Amino acid sequence: MKNSWTGGEAARPIESAEENLAVAVHRLEPGAFERLIERFEAPLYSYAHGILQNPFDAQEVVQDAMMRAHRALTRQYNEERCASLALRPWLFRTVRNLCLNKRRGKRHELEQPLSEFDDGRMGPFVHLEGSDLERKQEVELLRRAIALLPVDARELIMLRFMEEMSYGEIAKTVGATEASLRGKVFRSLKLLREALERKGVAYAV
Amino acid sequence: MRCRPTLTRVDALRTGELPAEEHRAVEEHLKRCKSCEESVEDVERFARAVKALAVVAPPRPIRESLRTTDFFDQVENAWVAFSDRAIRMISGRSLEDLRSWYAKRYGRTLERAPIPEPLRKQVIAALHGEGVDKPAIDLRDASELERSVLQTLTRIPRGEVRSYSWLAQQVGKPRAVRAVANVVARNCVPFIVPCHRVVPAGGGVGKYAYGSEMKRDLLKREGVDVDQLDALAREGVRFIGSKTTKIFCFPTCRDARRIREENRVPFHEVDEATEKGFRPCHRCQPKVA
Repeated sequence: MKNSWTGGEAARPIESAEENLAVAVHRLEPGAFERLIERFEAPLYSYAHGILQNPFDAQEVVQDAMMRAHRALTRQYNEERCASLALRPWLFRTVRNLCLNKRRGKRHELEQPLSEFDDGRMGPFVHLEGSDLERKQEVELLRRAIALLPVDARELIMLRFMEEMSYGEIAKTVGATEASLRGKVFRSLKLLREALERKGVAYAV
Repeated sequence: MRCRPTLTRVDALRTGELPAEEHRAVEEHLKRCKSCEESVEDVERFARAVKALAVVAPPRPIRESLRTTDFFDQVENAWVAFSDRAIRMISGRSLEDLRSWYAKRYGRTLERAPIPEPLRKQVIAALHGEGVDKPAIDLRDASELERSVLQTLTRIPRGEVRSYSWLAQQVGKPRAVRAVANVVARNCVPFIVPCHRVVPAGGGVGKYAYGSEMKRDLLKREGVDVDQLDALAREGVRFIGSKTTKIFCFPTCRDARRIREENRVPFHEVDEATEKGFRPCHRCQPKVA
């Protein structure tokens, strides 16, 4: 049976290392699953945090997602399916679905306006380089602006610009067409730009 | 192409993801339109800026909560797989059998490690059908049904047998006999969890992972009169009642075995017994109608 996860002619070529990783996990090669965790735990955690804005929930979701991934790759999928699996979007989608389940239970809490900035709900992102004060402040502003975006916009910004996914991969992750995503990413960027302009930062790095 | 559709495509143009035709159309528009051309650089700036916010690892590493290997050791003739806390699987055949079964069931590999001494003693006792304290069994990956079936199985005393329908009833799923029987068949800790003490209601000892012959021997060794069971089943007798107490039991129940010959009343059905004023035994709990 063909499903959206197996490659069709529409699927973009996947990084071969990742493709092999799914098969390696399926074959129970020593250390394969550890490699998968190492490769994906930070991006998945940051993504989950972006949706849930809560470190504990994000940790729980990623843990659960990894367990599900392990079960699926080792026991539920056959080798052929693992080989044709688009691993990255598949993992992100698993995390996304679990996050949305979690959000559903706490919608009220999350919809409270975030006027007073709460550090726990801000993204888990750290800025690695750059020490001069002005730059730090700008990065801080960008971080806040992203954290204050509506969740759909924030999610797309993260997938597209932090994770650097292709539109094809994002389409698989969130379940939309590439054409509609182009528009959505454009609007998300516009929201972000407006938020920054309100703070007096015309974004320039 | 006009401004708006161009703007939505600028980001995809940046990474070269547009179909050839659109790619050309967008580039053409950008040459003519100054404001749209500026947006290209704008998007690039944003991409760089957001990218500079690095992702971070979860506060507790995920790896710590997910094991991908467990351990095995040989205990007498059996190969035993165990986790950091308890027994997970036993194979009486070979290490290869254990490994492949384990991979299929749990998706994990096994490393050799000495089994903790108290656990080893308990396993040995259980393999010989002795020992009061059973080794702990790791049921973390088991489903709710599996868990309750395995726990109920351990309650069947040595020297007695029960039927699959009894088991289904005990776990609170009287109609899921087949599903319950499948769980029994997939029991990954045979001998320790006595799945051999479940037999078909229609007589005979039924199937067993290590062959019916072995199941029969095991039961005989535990003191079950298998031949008598067969004889009863052939006549369709499923319960034995006592004239003096007006209680009926499974034939192998310890309370049924001590009924004197002259006081024994055979029953074929639960209804038959209850109609005659008998009540089910509290210990072996034949079907409570």
